[in-house]
Amino acid sequence: MKHYLVIQLARFGDLIQTKRLLATLCARADARVHLCVDRSLAPLAGLVYPDVTLHPVTAHGTGLSGLQAIRAMLVDNREAFARLREIDFSRVYNLNYSGLNYRLAALFDPEKVDGHAWNNGQELITQWPSMAMRWSDQRKISINLVDFWGGYCPDMIAPEAVNPPAEGKGGGIGVVLAGRESRRSLPTDILARIMAATAQKSRAERVVLLGGASEFAAGQSVLKLLPAGIQARTRNLAGKTDWTDLVDTVGSLDMLLTPDTGTMHLAAHLGTPVHAFFLSSAWCFETGPYGAGHTVYQAVTPCLPCLETRPCDYGVTCLKAFADPSFIRFMATHKAEHMPEGMIAFESRFDALGQTYAPVAGTDPDADQRAKFRRFVLSHLTGMESGVSDLDTLFAQRIYRERDWIARTTSRRTALF
Amino acid sequence: MKNLRILVVLPLYGGSLPIGRYAASALKSLGHMVEVFEAPDFNGAYESLKNLRVTGDRLDYLQNSFLNVVSQSVLAKVETFEPDLVLAMAQAPLNHQALKRLRRDGVTTAMWFVEDHRLFTYWKSFAPFYDIFAVIQKEPFISELGKIGQPNALYLPLAALPEFHRPMSLTPVEQRKFGSEVSFMGAGYPNRRAAFRELVNHDFKLWGTEWEGDHVLEPLVQMRGARVTPEECVKIFNATRINLNLHSSVQARELVTHGDFVNPRTFELAACGAFQLVDRRTLLDEAFADGELATFDSMEELLEKIDYFLEKQEECAEIANKGRERVLKDHTYQTRMAALLDFTAERIEGWPSQGNDESLFGADYPPELEGELRQLLGRLSLPEDVSFKDLVWSLRQQEGALTDLDTAILFLDEWQKLYAKRS
Repeated sequence: MKHYLVIQLARFGDLIQTKRLLATLCARADARVHLCVDRSLAPLAGLVYPDVTLHPVTAHGTGLSGLQAIRAMLVDNREAFARLREIDFSRVYNLNYSGLNYRLAALFDPEKVDGHAWNNGQELITQWPSMAMRWSDQRKISINLVDFWGGYCPDMIAPEAVNPPAEGKGGGIGVVLAGRESRRSLPTDILARIMAATAQKSRAERVVLLGGASEFAAGQSVLKLLPAGIQARTRNLAGKTDWTDLVDTVGSLDMLLTPDTGTMHLAAHLGTPVHAFFLSSAWCFETGPYGAGHTVYQAVTPCLPCLETRPCDYGVTCLKAFADPSFIRFMATHKAEHMPEGMIAFESRFDALGQTYAPVAGTDPDADQRAKFRRFVLSHLTGMESGVSDLDTLFAQRIYRERDWIARTTSRRTALF
Repeated sequence: MKNLRILVVLPLYGGSLPIGRYAASALKSLGHMVEVFEAPDFNGAYESLKNLRVTGDRLDYLQNSFLNVVSQSVLAKVETFEPDLVLAMAQAPLNHQALKRLRRDGVTTAMWFVEDHRLFTYWKSFAPFYDIFAVIQKEPFISELGKIGQPNALYLPLAALPEFHRPMSLTPVEQRKFGSEVSFMGAGYPNRRAAFRELVNHDFKLWGTEWEGDHVLEPLVQMRGARVTPEECVKIFNATRINLNLHSSVQARELVTHGDFVNPRTFELAACGAFQLVDRRTLLDEAFADGELATFDSMEELLEKIDYFLEKQEECAEIANKGRERVLKDHTYQTRMAALLDFTAERIEGWPSQGNDESLFGADYPPELEGELRQLLGRLSLPEDVSFKDLVWSLRQQEGALTDLDTAILFLDEWQKLYAKRS
């Protein structure tokens, strides 16, 4: 039996987006797959990945005093580290560019670590994630995070096999109130208008508001803004669902309206149709919902996608399209002529590399360049013959470094002899 | 003085390289957290540039560029290790730009210039860029340093490392290989070549490099003139009845030059409890008293004393023992490094900074871990009052996969950087 370890210490959404990698490893013959996650996400990981052995550690900083942290690290984490150290992993996929991940890698022979490794006190990053860092300034043509993490394994499963095709489950509409980054979420008045229009069109009998306890008040504000008939059918569940409740609820819906959130990825995992609002730093080609049957409303002002860490100097102009009354009309008619300026409606599609999105309203000026980039990446990952585009040399010069060519240690993937 | 974090920057190669290693070892034994910049690892690549057969200006450009990369590597190490002191040995690969950057960033730097300032004159360019400049010669060098803008010059003679330079029992095979009545271990400088031609009638062995081309001496050269390791040196010192110690000179007119500084071999031989005949130096008398060393002033005196001491084994042993006692008392690298740090504290205001490094056992660690943490400190040769920051660095210096406890401590450190300090 071969043991594989994936270290994913990031957040809710990232955990779900690791699915293609984990599913690929699980699909290998005679494989036992292990997942190291933050302790707070272990119950969710257990629900999403029932066939994977979990190794929870305390990595996130929420709510721990200094004293509690010391105990969590030196006693609880240490026990988890001891168990990890006892297992003879064939490969360790250490996914996050974080000091914590590098330190955790110190447990393992660096030769066995892909991603973020630790060798005699030195942090090392392997080629695939370092390439991804280089295309991070080319976000408009970027690839989906699920496919990026899946790309650690050249034998990754087909993208269609990652999540079930989305279809309504009969349980009404779910609405995610906000993501972690407030600028990427819709203000309550706009959200309430979109919700009301969607609920009326679909004649949903049940609407649920989803989020953490900190979003409960926002949920109440939204409720007040809804027409009375819809308000009566709406329940504010913000802060009232544990992971099991959330999985059950999201898995029962006909549709989820959401910004770019972990709940959105959970819906995609469960095959619940997503209608996602992407604006500000959220860019659907990077973190859009994975699977067939999802819709993304992507703001496309010239300043996008921006960096969430930098303040917006343009008055969050990317919100205007969502506030435009014609957007409500578009949601009702799905006619391209009703699509407001500064937005594209995309439907999820697959290509040979993985998840992509095709415009159903609005023009995607980057589509051609993105398609060429995706072929370039696919060729890199699999060696698949896909021809050479006019942009391949440019991509190669941007994405590869001289040292990749000159000083790269030959990997098992490229070794000829 | 609190335990300090010290980065020792070794040269690419050369005579100050072993001394840098001894200094680092001594600083560790004084309880400081020491990180060593292994510049010799870069030397092969640097030397390979000289085999390119390109124009001189191109080679010059390439060498400068390469040394700039090495300098930047030192700076990167400083940024990560955050030392209280950067101790550079003579010829350390720190260019002007790097030294300016260290000064701008408030990093205290010291150079131990273990060279003859008359022959190795590059100090005029670099000395003002260091905060402390330790030298092995006195006047006029110290005044000259003052004139070019280096007010913090310290006379810091060479020394021995008693853990390494020590009396040693040799096997019969080793005694045969390394032993002789008279020997010299060192490079074939012109004054030595001329002087040692007069010793060919003795049971005399010559060790070291740069002896080729002298048909009189060549039959005496051991190991075909190969470089002798420091470990082999100690065996030669221990196996020889009379170790010659003639300070080098690039001219052969005067064989005994009566120069000022005392070479490292003087201290190393004495620390080994080995008998030596050393040429008299102007700075020798303040290092050793009468009866602690046997000296000579001329070739005639050297030849006479070789004959005399070959007959006086007990007297040799008595002098050697006294010499060893004196070195252990006053001339170890530990005493030198302590003197350097004291001088730095005296001259550099506010140094060392009183950081708020918390002692490991001052923190509220789970009591069940105390025994294991103490074992860990023992394994890493760290004092019990070590700070958490120093423990983390010491763990980082370990090679290979780490234990679960080691990893948990590194993880805790990183977590605190991410979250605790932010809150």
